Amino acid sequence: MPSRREAVAAEIPRLRRYARALLGDDGEADDLIQDTLERALARLEQWRDGENPRKWLFSILHNLYVDGLRRKSRRPPHVGLDSVGIEQSAPPADGASGRDLDQALQLLSGEQRQVVLLVGLEGLSYAETAEVLDIPVGTVMSRLARGRGRLRVLMDYEGGDKGGRAALRRVK
Amino acid sequence: MTSPGQRLSEAEVNAYIDGELALEDRDEVEGRLAASPADADYVHDIRELNEAMRARYAARLAEPLPAPMLALLGRVPRWPPALATRQAAVVAGLLVGLAGAAVGYAVRSLVAEAPRPEPSFVENAIGAHSVYVPEVRHPVEVRAAEEHLVRWLANRVGAPVRAPSLSDLGWKLMGGRLLPDAGAPAAQFMYEDAGGRRLTLYIRKETGLDNTAFRFYQRNGYGAFYWIDRPLAYALAGRLPRNELLAVANAVYGQLERR
Repeated sequence: MPSRREAVAAEIPRLRRYARALLGDDGEADDLIQDTLERALARLEQWRDGENPRKWLFSILHNLYVDGLRRKSRRPPHVGLDSVGIEQSAPPADGASGRDLDQALQLLSGEQRQVVLLVGLEGLSYAETAEVLDIPVGTVMSRLARGRGRLRVLMDYEGGDKGGRAALRRVK
Repeated sequence: MTSPGQRLSEAEVNAYIDGELALEDRDEVEGRLAASPADADYVHDIRELNEAMRARYAARLAEPLPAPMLALLGRVPRWPPALATRQAAVVAGLLVGLAGAAVGYAVRSLVAEAPRPEPSFVENAIGAHSVYVPEVRHPVEVRAAEEHLVRWLANRVGAPVRAPSLSDLGWKLMGGRLLPDAGAPAAQFMYEDAGGRRLTLYIRKETGLDNTAFRFYQRNGYGAFYWIDRPLAYALAGRLPRNELLAVANAVYGQLERR
């Protein structure tokens, strides 16, 4: 199925972008995409004709992401720097607003982050997002509202002076 | 829905931002946003956040795929990845340098010297660019895949409008839309590159002003090269380094001249 392989290959840059934003780490993101690609290529015949390849691939990615979370949660509880890290670190210096946004996204719950990214970064519709995440459209909308509201506070958009927007508000 | 002046629900505002509303609901929400600064702020902030996310992660779109992914796809990288990237960067640098020199030479005679007031269509082109380029779901009215796109816009503008192919420079035609320009119809074509950056080519009929060479105009961080080649006036707008925008403008000019 050479044309399907090509269609899958064409979507990889977007999948990588999403995974990077979702996981906050280059290496983990590429591991997830490698697994996604492997699974997709092994199941090309399950991709129905006419089905949007992007949606199909995002669904595979999502399932693998959830599997990964489950595996992690079965490990002995690990209370270390990871769970507090960002909150204790000082906000980055001015001019590093890219990193601020990256860090702010990581402060959202995984569920909120998925929706904020699929809709806002990847441009999926609410219906597509609901299918990819296997949740009702209403849940997409409520997670989106909560996630965006929180991000807006984290990025200091809400209320504060607009000049200081780029700075990540220190989390207490 | 509810009476004007009352705050919108989060769900309504988000659905508006994400293009999930039916046309008539969209109009209504727009009316109510005008009367509710807090909601309008939210819309502005979230659009800015979306734009910031795209900018933050754009590099990933343009990066070469890692070797293990290429191997899965049955594509063997020609050089070890690190070397490949470095060589590609060197080659790309050379090409940009050469293209820049060639374009500079070709264009020097074209770029006008005397500053003059900008024709209004340039301002309109930049305005339309800044409004539609951030759109995620509805950046264009008619997608490039639809055959009637160019025919329709040419008919409405009333002149032989064409959408140049810029794929050799890495810009893919997304589609276009019809816009009002001082009461006359104008066409906007939008292009996107692999990094998610966007360019628009704005075209309207122009029979009053004389033909011009390339001119550059800049406002609010957006740049535009514009020229008049009667019966049409063109403005190529984007947020790109000036040399890069000029290279594209030169390609557009070259293609439209050869019609």
